[in-house]
Amino acid sequence: MQVKYTLPILAAAGFLFAAYTVINSNKPIPVAPVVAPPASAPFTSFIAGSGIVEAKSQNIAIGTPLSGIVKTVAIKVGDKVKVGAPLFYLDDRDTRAELAVKRADLAKARAGVNEAKASVRDTQSLSALAEAITDRRAISSEELLRRRNALLINTTKLGSAEALVQQAEAALTTTQTTLARLVVQAPINGEVLQVNIRPGEFAQAGALNTPLLVLGNMEQLHVRVDIDENDAWRFDQNSKAVAFLRGNPNFKTDLIPAYVEPYVVPKKSLTGDSSEQVDTRVLQALYSFDRNQLPVYVGQQLDVFIEARDYSGDGRPPL
Amino acid sequence: MNPSSLAVHCQNVVKIYDTGDQKVTALNGVNLDIALGELMMLVGPSGCGKTTLISVIAGILDQDSGYCEVFGEDLLNMSNQHKLNFRARNIGFVFQAFNLLPALSAAENVSVPLIINGMKRNDAERKAVAVLEQVGLGARATALPSELSGGQQQRVAIARALIHSPRLIVCDEPTSALDHETGHNVMTLLKDVALHNDRALVIVTHDARIFDFADRIAEMDDGHIVEVKGVGVQASPASTSKACTPVAAKP
Amino acid sequence: MNHIAIKMLMGDRGKYLGIVMGLTFASLIMTQQPAIFLGLMSRSYSFISDVGLPDIWVMDEKVQFVDDIKPLQDTELYRVRGVSGVEWAMPMYKGLLKARLADGTFQTCNVVGLDDATLIGGPPVMLEGRLEDLRRSDGVIVDIDGARDKLGKPSPMSGGKPIALKVGDSLELNDRRAIVVGIAKVTRTFQSQPVVYTTYSRAKNYAPKERKLLSFVLVKAKPGQDLAELTRRIRATTGLAAYTREEFMSLTYEYFMRNTGIPINFGISVLLGFIVGAAIAGQTFYNFTLENLRQFGVLKAMGTSNWTLLRMILLQAVLVGTIGYGLGVGLTALFGYSMRHTILAFKFPWQLLLFSGAGVSLICVFAALISILKVIRLEPAIVFKG
Repeated sequence: MQVKYTLPILAAAGFLFAAYTVINSNKPIPVAPVVAPPASAPFTSFIAGSGIVEAKSQNIAIGTPLSGIVKTVAIKVGDKVKVGAPLFYLDDRDTRAELAVKRADLAKARAGVNEAKASVRDTQSLSALAEAITDRRAISSEELLRRRNALLINTTKLGSAEALVQQAEAALTTTQTTLARLVVQAPINGEVLQVNIRPGEFAQAGALNTPLLVLGNMEQLHVRVDIDENDAWRFDQNSKAVAFLRGNPNFKTDLIPAYVEPYVVPKKSLTGDSSEQVDTRVLQALYSFDRNQLPVYVGQQLDVFIEARDYSGDGRPPL
Repeated sequence: MNPSSLAVHCQNVVKIYDTGDQKVTALNGVNLDIALGELMMLVGPSGCGKTTLISVIAGILDQDSGYCEVFGEDLLNMSNQHKLNFRARNIGFVFQAFNLLPALSAAENVSVPLIINGMKRNDAERKAVAVLEQVGLGARATALPSELSGGQQQRVAIARALIHSPRLIVCDEPTSALDHETGHNVMTLLKDVALHNDRALVIVTHDARIFDFADRIAEMDDGHIVEVKGVGVQASPASTSKACTPVAAKP
Repeated sequence: MNHIAIKMLMGDRGKYLGIVMGLTFASLIMTQQPAIFLGLMSRSYSFISDVGLPDIWVMDEKVQFVDDIKPLQDTELYRVRGVSGVEWAMPMYKGLLKARLADGTFQTCNVVGLDDATLIGGPPVMLEGRLEDLRRSDGVIVDIDGARDKLGKPSPMSGGKPIALKVGDSLELNDRRAIVVGIAKVTRTFQSQPVVYTTYSRAKNYAPKERKLLSFVLVKAKPGQDLAELTRRIRATTGLAAYTREEFMSLTYEYFMRNTGIPINFGISVLLGFIVGAAIAGQTFYNFTLENLRQFGVLKAMGTSNWTLLRMILLQAVLVGTIGYGLGVGLTALFGYSMRHTILAFKFPWQLLLFSGAGVSLICVFAALISILKVIRLEPAIVFKG
């Protein structure tokens, strides 16, 4: 009796356990959650590209006309500056010293003029005295000649001294200009995006890999979109385009076409890894957008979708 | 004898076993009539054809030639299905080795013929208990055959042979596995409970102690009925006498 | 007659147990061996099945299976993104990199780089930390098996178990520092290398400098988009190979089937189990019928038809078959359950239940058939033989 029921019950239990195992162990593997929902194109047919935000003015890398040690930096990152506002000052002690010398030179030259003027007056009065004598015998003709010449010489000396003043004045102006050039000023109305110099550092004149300052007009931003050269034939500048913020596709904005750079350039690394070399070339299209819709910073990457005509997926344009 | 009162009528029945390289003649022209209400015993030495004869009579073996009629029906020319039904309804078996199904209780064993005849299991077992009471084993209805003595097992076998009220009961050495007293009791039971006017009993035996229970005794030898004699009645010769050993002939 | 058949079967306890055990054994082998086989094979594509989100994997045309990385140019990502019907497409880096461990040894790791913004394709279950922690500087997520074993710090006692890597520990990947910010649970892969998750851009820093580093582009189709149609379109537009998740799994699976000896070895052991099980169960069942032949003879003599006897034998066969099958699959499940935390590969899909069921049925039918033949040929006259 025991065997009679034990085995079937065991068997039924075994089967149920097997069925349970089957159901339990073949549950679908849990799907890893998406940390941030990916952006998806709002068009049926489109070109996708990655965009990088830049200022409309493009980003101006400020250079210095003269090399020198930085004395003061007048601005900090994020400051809005007006045209002509000083950005940073280079060390000017040398120039200022020179300026003093030049001023002294000027004063000296001016004193020379006075001296020359006095000489002229002196010789003039002597000459006038001699000329006033009507009796030629009262004064020798030699004396008269000498006095006349002395006047002429002194008059010329006055002209020379005046020229020296002009020279000294010009030298002074030159030094003053140099002094002015040691203060770097903002070329446009804009915002300071990056500051790479600090007082005491040496600012090198010329084109630099790392700009001393980056200035841009932040009122209007542009998105520079890289379009793969393989997709370039599908690109139409006037079709609709949408940009999504990476990390939160709820932030999106419509893009207004600005211009297309007609020269296809090698794709620059967007990820910042200099070792990343990709031999593809990209067409760069620029779009403007409403800043209020998208809280972006210059240099940020966006996912961009540009509507394109549907060529029914065969990769060939309909003819 | 009146043919309608005959249970079995055999005429010149021949059965030859073909064992491949030799042929053994088991029945060599047997003539035998068994009347209803009669207890017929088949006696004779081993291998003389007694078992073959009752197999033919019980319809579980087909004869090679001759005619065998049981309750007026020719078993040889019956369809298989008809023969099965005929056997199930009309014939009860009692075996030397009891042949009870060891996994079934006494009552269940007894109920088997009824179930074969299509009765519901519960009804059949209820009736089986009643029949077991008839054979004096009402108390052991739930016992397994292995828990019963030899005599008790044979009583169960008899109950099984009786339960569906067959008209012919075939018994093969019912007492040879039992001691004298038990055998006597079993025979008494057979005679008292099983035998009545509408039924015939055929008992194969060579147990001389039970010859007294027979109405008639048919003595067989070498595939023949040598002699049929009534107990207390004058023996009547049934067939010619021959040598006792079975005939083995090369094909 | 059915209860008689059942009682006949169960009455002989020894034989009954013998038959059931034979069938249990057969069904056990026919279930357990294929389960291990399937488990092993499913590991070949477990990396794909772990990444549940994308519908389509885009890769180089010549890729043969998941570990056969043939990198693409980064701009291919945008070309795939531009295919209509694509909801999104994300880059993924997958590659083998050497990690230097605290004790100075090197361990090859499977480094997976996920899209920086969305981190799509991350591990299915995080045990410690969060997936977002990958955004922390130098952050990596390590799988638990790798953290415990191959990437673990050496035990202070010689021969002891390594100390598991914890959140905050650091690794060195290709001479670069990596900080463990999370521990994940991933399905074991075929090679069982530790898996290190990081962001795509960081993975590019860890990886040796190559012109191309984009291993896969993971694509999600727009809702309602027919995947077959989309894969065709991606292939046509970009010239790359695009597979649905299932196609990529079967590509990998078939590669292993064709190029490793695993299927043959397991096929042989399953076949052997089948033959041994069939032999044991068939033999015992046939023996059982033979020994009960006398009882069948008695029933036959008493007027039981061959049809009824056949039904009785079939019932007996079905009964032992069912019991043996139930016990066999139960034991298999128990085996799988007890081994669930070990390295053993084990996968028990419902098809396997059907497979072993069919196998056991075949054995039972075979055993019943030879028994039935014996009983049908049986002369009931044997009942009179002592």
